[in-house]
Formats: sequence, C-alpha cells, structure tokens
Amino acid sequence: MKHLDVRFYLKIWKLMAKNSILSLLNKKESVIIFLIGKFVRYIFYFGFLYFLVTKTNGISGYTAIQTLFFTATYTLVDTIGQFLFRSVYTFRQLIVTGDFDLVLLKPINPLFRSIAGGPDPMDLVTIPPIIAVVVYIDLLLNPSMLHTTFYILLIINAIIISMSIHVFVVSLGIITLSVDHLIMIFRDFSTMGRLPIDIYKSPLKEFLTFIVPVGLMFSVPSKALMGIISPLGVILSIIFGITLFVLSLKFWQFAIKKYTSASS
Amino acid sequence: MDKYFSVFKISLAHEFAYKLNFLIWRFRNIIQILVFFFLWSSVDSTYFGYSQSEIFAYAFLLIIIRSIVMSTKANDVSGYVSSGELSNYLVKPINFFKYLLSKDLAVKMLNIAFSFFEVTILYLILKPNLFIQTNPIQLILFIISLIFAVFIFFSIIILSSSAPFWVPEIGWGVQFLVISIFVEFLSGAFFPLDVFPKPIYEFLKLTPFPYLVFIPIKTYLGNMSTFETTKNLLLGGLWTIILWLLMNKVWKKGLKVYEAFGR
Repeated sequence: MKHLDVRFYLKIWKLMAKNSILSLLNKKESVIIFLIGKFVRYIFYFGFLYFLVTKTNGISGYTAIQTLFFTATYTLVDTIGQFLFRSVYTFRQLIVTGDFDLVLLKPINPLFRSIAGGPDPMDLVTIPPIIAVVVYIDLLLNPSMLHTTFYILLIINAIIISMSIHVFVVSLGIITLSVDHLIMIFRDFSTMGRLPIDIYKSPLKEFLTFIVPVGLMFSVPSKALMGIISPLGVILSIIFGITLFVLSLKFWQFAIKKYTSASS
Repeated sequence: MDKYFSVFKISLAHEFAYKLNFLIWRFRNIIQILVFFFLWSSVDSTYFGYSQSEIFAYAFLLIIIRSIVMSTKANDVSGYVSSGELSNYLVKPINFFKYLLSKDLAVKMLNIAFSFFEVTILYLILKPNLFIQTNPIQLILFIISLIFAVFIFFSIIILSSSAPFWVPEIGWGVQFLVISIFVEFLSGAFFPLDVFPKPIYEFLKLTPFPYLVFIPIKTYLGNMSTFETTKNLLLGGLWTIILWLLMNKVWKKGLKVYEAFGR
C-alpha cells in the first residue's frame, strides 16, 4: 500500500530535495547571482508599486496597503508553486527521450515524480522573507481571526489549483509533447494576478477567474482576508479547487494511457 | 556583404521553422502590455505627469520598442562561450558581431511586423484614446534615440555574455541578473521611471538602462523641454559609444583567455 503512504512519499520527496540541493551546490556562483536577482526583482517591483499606489491612493478602489497585499499574496503562492512543482519544467525531456519508462518502473506514483520530483532549493531561501512581508502587511490590515482562517484555507486551495494546473500541463505534455510552452503560458497569465483581478475588464476578467483561475488563486485569498468575500464565496472557491484537482487526476489517468515510450 | 545578407536570409527562415517559439514570445509580450494597460487604466496617471492618452501611447509604444530593441539572438552568446561552441564561429571568415547583427536584423524585422499587427488588433479591441505624435522633428529624434537603444542593448548583452570567458558556470546567472532584472525594470519596459521620486529618477538617468525604452518613449511623447530632450539624446549617444568601446575591449580580453571548454 505504498502508493497511499504519506510518510513514504515525504521520505522520497526529502531525498529528491536533498539531491536538488546537492546539485545546486555545485554551481554556487550562479546560485548567489540568481538569488541576488530574485531579491532585487522583488525590491524593484514592490518599490515601483509602493510609489505608484501611495501617490494615487490605491487602485480600483483598493487602498495602497491592500494593493500591496494582493501583490505579496501573488508572490507567495507563485513562489510556493514554483518550489513544489519545479520538475514540470524538465518533464518534456523525460517524454521525448523515453526516459519516462524509468519513472514508470519505479515503485512510486509516476505523477508524484513528474510534478514534485525536484523542488527548487533556491525558493527555500526566498519563501521565508516573502512570508514575513505577507505577515507584516497582513498586520497592517488588522484582519479578524475568521478572515485570517479563510485566507489560509484559500492559500492552500490556491496551491491545490496550482498543482491541478501542473497536472493538466504534464498530462497534455504526454499527448502533445509540448510542456515548456504550456507552462510558460500559464506563468504569463499568472503574472496578471500580481494585481487585483478587478483592474481587468470583461471578458478578460471572467477568463482570468474561471478559465485560467488566476483570480481564484491570487486575488480571492486576499479579498477573503479583507472581508470582501462571503463564507459562501470561500466554500465555492474551495469546491472549485477540489473539482479541478479531481478532473486533473482523471485527465492524467487518460493521458498516461497515451504514452508511447517513443525513443526509448 | 553577401555573406551577411545570407545570414540574414537564413535567420529569417530559421524563425519561420520554429513558429511556435516565436508566437509564444510574441504572446508573452502582449500579456505584459495588457497588465501595463489595465494597471494604468485603473489609476490616475496625471499624478505622474502623463495624460491618459499619453500613458496609453506609452503602453502601445512598448510593444513596438521592445520588438525593435529587445528582440535579439545575441543572448545565445553566453551559451556559445560556456559550451565552447564559440569556436565554430571564430574559425569562420566572418566578423562575429556583424554576424550577430545580421541575425538580429532578421529577428527584429519579423518582430516589428508582428508588433504592428498586434498594436492594430489591441487598438481595435481596447479602443484607447491614443496620443499620436505629428511633429516631424520629434519623430526624427525618436528614431535616433531608438538607434542608440538598439546598440546599447546589443553592447549590454555581449558584455553580460562575456562573463563565462572567466567563470563559465555563471553565464545564465549573469544574464538573468542583467537582462531579466536590471534591463526589464530600469529601462522603463515595465513602468515609466518617473513614478520614482525625483532623486532616484535622476540617478537612474545616469545609468544606460533608461536609454533603452524610457527615453525613446519620452522623446516620442515630446513632454520634455528642448534642453531635456537634447541632454537625454547626448547622454544616450555617449552611452552608446562608451558601451560599444567597452564591449570590444572586454570581448578581446575574453578571447585571449577563452579555452573552448567542452571542445
């Protein structure tokens, strides 16, 4: 029953994370430059937004602090998604070379290996400061305990949605052999969630809420913390997340049957 | 000149061979512009000295200027140096920079053509009130600033691609830091730099980055004094010369220590 053993998978995940860290330690100079780049990017973006929203007193009816909170939440969810599901970026190589056979032979769930098989250790360094920024801005907003609970639940929901999308991408990758482009398109749409989804006009706003659920992932948690979303809205968002996850697993099961083991 | 014209033709054909890559790159540019457009639609841009028609013109010009300035194949050079593939080009009877510029010309032409198509489509969908510059002098100055921008960007890419001559492992890290971070944020491609407080804005203008996107757009909009426009053009020209000379010097030094690792 190893396929259902959480401790077993946690152990495997730790091993894969350790491997990722060890391989990264071989490129210390690059890692340092890359980390500096990531921090500089956050500073530039928050700096720009800070000067913009403090001078204009916020955007689309949100105060300056609320707008910054949307961006901090986006950064948190996006970074956690990249940290956990990094191996999606190398999945295409497994498929086109036929090396995916070796994954299928191992006594672990191939989906687990395909999406969570290589966490990005660099994000381990960036996630704690991002959490600190989220908590700091959160304290300025002075939310209630209930709204904070909604926020945490919706962040978990956002990670589940992110995982579902990554599952869809690798599944489509098996069928179409194109993973890199699909994941980059998703990432590009994701960047639209840096700001409250309300700034976009119809039908783009609806597209970003229901088709590529950027709004549910990045804007809805922040709105829940601000008390703008009703409990029913929170429940519906979670139902959407769970449904998407179930559908993604079904699609994976369909796609895996299409794997031809070409080139192996 | 024939051989460089052949490189140009082959590069153009090469881009058509990888249509999906090209279309995705264009798509990514459009997303960035949409975020910019809707962000500025929801704030009062007059706080920063832009009328709404000017800030929308900024958004649309970004599509065209990014195509002219930032579409390049020179970002492959870092990989050539660290993998040793550069040797393949050094043994050929060509000037490596002219070769790269010929490839860039093809890529830029294709991107410019697509950018005009995208601008038209976005204009029809979004129907913004756009500022159109009609002053011919301002338009000539705008074109000059764009020429400077193309050479400044090329020099910055080659300079950052030269790092692997000395430390082969840091190629992608340096490119990420310089191109994806400093150029993206400090060139004005992400937001107008005058959003920043005046001391930061004035300091940024002493660096080469604003001359890639921000200064050309400001020149087009013509919302600077004649003195300011002339000063910015002179500084842009100065940075073009400095970076071009520096690029040649660093490249020559790099070639002296080049060991063709992996070959």
